[in-house]
Amino acid sequence: MKGSEKSRLIEQFASRFDSFVLPLLFIALVVVFSILSPAFRTTFNLVSTLRFTSFIAVGAIGMAFCIMNGDFDISVGSMLSLVAVIGSSMLPVIGGVPAVMFTLIFASFLGFVNGVFVTKLRIPAFITTLGMMFIFRSFAYIYTNNTPVYIQNKFWLFIGNGKVAGVPFAIILMLLCYVVAWLLLRKSPFGRYVIAVGTNRDAAVLSGINVDRTKIIVFTLVGLFIGIASVIISANLGSANPGMLGQGYEFQVITAVVLGGTVLGGGNGNLWGAFFASMVITYLKNGLGLTQVDSYWQFVAIGLVLIFAVAMSRVKFTVLGQKEV
Amino acid sequence: MKKKILLVVLAVLLVLPISLFAAGKEKEKEGITIGFSLWTMEYTFFQNLEAGVRGACEDFGYEYIMIDQNSDPQKMVQDINALVGQKVDGIVITPVDPGAIGPAVQNARDAGIPVTCADIGKTGPVNALLISNNYQGGQMAMEFIHEQVKDDPNNTWKVGVGRVQPQWTYARQRGEGFMDKARELGYEVASEIVVNPPSAEGGYDAMQQIMSAAPDIVGVYFASGREAVGGANAVKASGKDIIVVGYNGDPEELQAIEDGVLHATIAQQPYFIGYESVRVLKEILEEGKEYEDAEVSVVVELLTPDNYKQWAAEAEKRRGAPAY
Amino acid sequence: MVKFLKLYEKIGIFIFLVAGAIFLSFASPHFLQGDTLFNVVAQGTYGAIVGFGMTLAITSGGFDLSVGAVMALTSVFLSILIPFIGIPLAILVSLIVASFVGFINGLIITKLKVNPLITTLAMMTIIRGVALIVAGGRQIVIHQKVFMELGTGKTLGIPNPIYIMVILFVIFYFILYHTPFGRHISAVGSNESAARISGLNVDLIKIAVFVLVSFTAGVAGTIRTSQTLIGIPTMAPGFVLVAITVTILGGTSLAGGRGNLWGTLFAGIFISMIYYGLNIIGVQIFYQMLSVGIVLILALFIDGIRNRYLETLKAKGLKV
Repeated sequence: MKGSEKSRLIEQFASRFDSFVLPLLFIALVVVFSILSPAFRTTFNLVSTLRFTSFIAVGAIGMAFCIMNGDFDISVGSMLSLVAVIGSSMLPVIGGVPAVMFTLIFASFLGFVNGVFVTKLRIPAFITTLGMMFIFRSFAYIYTNNTPVYIQNKFWLFIGNGKVAGVPFAIILMLLCYVVAWLLLRKSPFGRYVIAVGTNRDAAVLSGINVDRTKIIVFTLVGLFIGIASVIISANLGSANPGMLGQGYEFQVITAVVLGGTVLGGGNGNLWGAFFASMVITYLKNGLGLTQVDSYWQFVAIGLVLIFAVAMSRVKFTVLGQKEV
Repeated sequence: MKKKILLVVLAVLLVLPISLFAAGKEKEKEGITIGFSLWTMEYTFFQNLEAGVRGACEDFGYEYIMIDQNSDPQKMVQDINALVGQKVDGIVITPVDPGAIGPAVQNARDAGIPVTCADIGKTGPVNALLISNNYQGGQMAMEFIHEQVKDDPNNTWKVGVGRVQPQWTYARQRGEGFMDKARELGYEVASEIVVNPPSAEGGYDAMQQIMSAAPDIVGVYFASGREAVGGANAVKASGKDIIVVGYNGDPEELQAIEDGVLHATIAQQPYFIGYESVRVLKEILEEGKEYEDAEVSVVVELLTPDNYKQWAAEAEKRRGAPAY
Repeated sequence: MVKFLKLYEKIGIFIFLVAGAIFLSFASPHFLQGDTLFNVVAQGTYGAIVGFGMTLAITSGGFDLSVGAVMALTSVFLSILIPFIGIPLAILVSLIVASFVGFINGLIITKLKVNPLITTLAMMTIIRGVALIVAGGRQIVIHQKVFMELGTGKTLGIPNPIYIMVILFVIFYFILYHTPFGRHISAVGSNESAARISGLNVDLIKIAVFVLVSFTAGVAGTIRTSQTLIGIPTMAPGFVLVAITVTILGGTSLAGGRGNLWGTLFAGIFISMIYYGLNIIGVQIFYQMLSVGIVLILALFIDGIRNRYLETLKAKGLKV
C-alpha cells in the first residue's frame, strides 16, 4: 500500500520533472553565486537583477503565445528598437501617458502587420519576420537619422526605474503581465484556440476555429508585449539608440520560451517556464560577472547551462520509459 | 545509460569553470576598491584598456573588480548598478552604449561614488571622460595620404573611406575629421562604405567594393584597424597602388606595417587611457581634487614604417607586454 | 504558364539576380566590369558555401546557428597550426576540428534530445568562448604569405573562392539528389517518425548533416582567414543571419524535406550583389537593409501567389 503510493509519488514527480528543473536550477544558481560572491547575495543586487529580468520575461510572453500557436517571430529585436525610438521621440510633443499608449498601440499594429502578412499573403512566419527584422531596423535608423533619443519624461522613466511601496514597478508590471497572460491562455476560449491551432491546424479548422484571426491576434499580442518591453528597456537605459536596442533580443526571448519547456512547432506550452527561464538567464549572467569569471569562460558557461537545462528537462522520458518497459 | 553519462559530463563541465575561476574572490572592505565596467574583452583595444585600469589599481594598491558588459547595453546598466550596490569607491566605465549610462551614473553619484569614463563617450554627471582625440586622428590620416601623393603627377584627388558600424556613433568623429580635412585639401571622397561585418574579413570585402566604386582613388582610410588590415590585403591582391591608413594601433596593424602591406595607422593609447581614468579617480578620492564633467583629450599618434618600431618599444615598456 | 511556374520554383531567384544585375549596370558605370562581376560572385561564395550546409540542415528539419562561431574557431586553429605543421595539414586539421563541432551538435541534438535551435545557439556562445580562449583573445597574424593565394588568388582569371564554391556545389548536389543518403535527409525532414519506422537510422543521418554544416563553415572560415592572413577569434559576427537568409531566399522550405541547392547558389550571389551593388552606387547601409527585407518578403510573396495559382489549377482538375 505504502510502497505503491510512494512509487506513485515518484512517478508523479518524474512526469512533471521538467517543470521543476528551472526553479531548481534557479535556486541552485542563486545558492552557488551567493556563496561565491558577497556582492551577489545583497538584497539590492537580487532585487535589481529581478528588475532587469522583466525585459526578457515580458517579451517572452508574446513569443510563448506565438510558439504555442506554431509560429515564430524573429523580428522582435528590431521591432523593439523601432517602437522605442518612435515612441520616445513623441514624448516632448504629446507627453508621457499618451506616448506610452501610443508606443503600445504602434507596437501592436506592427505585430498586426506581421500577422496579416503571415495569414493573408501566406508567407511563412519565419520568412515574414526575417524580412521585417531588416525592415524595422532600417526604419529605426532612417527615422532617427541614427541619433539616439534621450528620454527625460518622468512617467516613461517611472515604468522602468520607479518604485511602488519599495518594489520596482517593472517587477510589478512583469508579474501583472504574466497573470493576465496566464488567464488569457488558461481561462479564455482564445487560449484554447491558440493551442488548438498550434497542435493541429487542420483539426482546428474543422472544429470551426478561425485560424487566421487567431494567428493575427497572436502576432498583435507579440507586438503589445514587445511594446511594454521597449518602454521598460528604454527607461532603464534613459535613451533609445536605434542600432543598439534589441540586438540579439529575438534569440534571448526565443531561448527563454524554449528553455521554459514550450516546444518549437506548436501545441501546449509552459508560460511560467518562460518566466523562470528568463530568471535563470539573467541571474546567471549577473552572477558570472560578479564572481569575476573570466570573460571568455562566461560564454562557455552560459552555453553549457543552456544545454544542461534543456537536457535535464528531458530526463523524465528516461524514467517513464524505463517504467513502461 | 549513455544519456546519463553525458548528463554527468555536462554537469561537471558546467561546474568546473565556475568553481575554477570564481574561487577566493572574497573582498575585505579596508582599502579603496575600483569597479570597472568594460564593453567587451573580445578586442585588443579593450584588452589593453583593461590592462591599464588593472595596472593603475595595482600601482596604487587598490582592489579591482572588472565586470564585462558582453556588448549588451542592458547588462552595462545592470553592472554599473551592481557596482554601486557593492559600494565600490570609484567606477570606471567603457560603455558599449554611451547614450545609456546617464541614469546609472546619476545613481552612482547620488551614492557619492565618482565616475570616470575611459574612452567611447558619456552621458550623465560623469566626473571626467578620457578619450582619444578622434577628430584629430582622422585629420592626421588624411594629411598622411596627402603627403604621400601630393607630388605624384597621377594624383586623382580622390580618396575612399571604410566606416564603422552605424550604431557605434562615438566613432563618427574619426570619419568626420578625415572628411573635413579631405575637403580642405581639395580631395573628393569618392566612396564611403560601412564595413560589414566589423572584422578584418569585412574590411577585405569593403575594399573590393570601394575599388569598384572608385577605381582611381589614391588613398583609403579605415576608421578601425583590424578592418584596415583586411582592406590592405585586398589592395595588395588587386595589385593596385593605393595608400591604406588604419586606426587603433593594434598588433595586427603593426605587423601589417612591418610587412609593408599597411602604409600607416593612427595609434590610440588604450593602456594610458585606462591608467589615467584610475589616476583621476585617485586625485578625487585621495587628494580631494574637483573634477566635474571634465573632458581629457588624449593624443593619438601617426605610425608609419619610420616610427612604428620606436612606438612599439615604448608601448611595451609601459604595459610590460610586447605591442605586437 | 504552368510550365513557367514550375520552372520558377527552381530558378525564381535567378530571375531576381538577372533583374538586379540589369538595374545595377544602368545605375553604375563600374558595375559591368570583369573585376566587379567576379568580386560580386566571390563575395557571394561565403554565404553560398555555408548555405549549402544550411540547406541540408533545414532539409533534414534542423537548423544551425553556430556557423559563424565555427568559422572563427577554424580561423584561430589555422593561424596557430600553420607555423608548426604547414599549410595543407593545418587546413586539414582545422576542417576536422570544425566538423567535430558539428559532430557534438549532432550528438547533443540526437542523444540528449535537445532542440536544434537551443543546441546550436548554446554551441555558438560556447565556440565563440573557446575560440577566444584558444587565441588568448588576440588576433593571430599568419606570416606564411603563400597561404593568401587560396582566398585572394586567381586561376585562369577567376578568383579561387569561386572554384571552391563550384566544387562544393557539385559535391552537395550529388549528395542531396543522387545518393540514398540525400533521399534519407529529405525523408527525415518531411516526416521523422515515418523515416524512423521505415528503418532509417535517423540519429546517424542527423549527426552526419550537422557535421556537413560545420564542415562548410570550416571551408568558409579557411577562405576568409587566407584573405586577411589573421586568425580572428571574433570572425563573422552575425554571419548566421546571412547563411539563413540565403538558404530561405533560395527556396528551401523551412518545414523540411525540400532543399533547393540551385536556389541557395543564386541567392548567395544575389545577396552579395545587393550589398555590393548598392555600396557601389553609394546607397546608405540603412537602405541596403531595407532592400534585403523587401526582397525577402517580395520573393516569398510571389512564391505564395504561384502556389495558390497551382492549387486552384489542381482543384479544377488540371494536371500540373
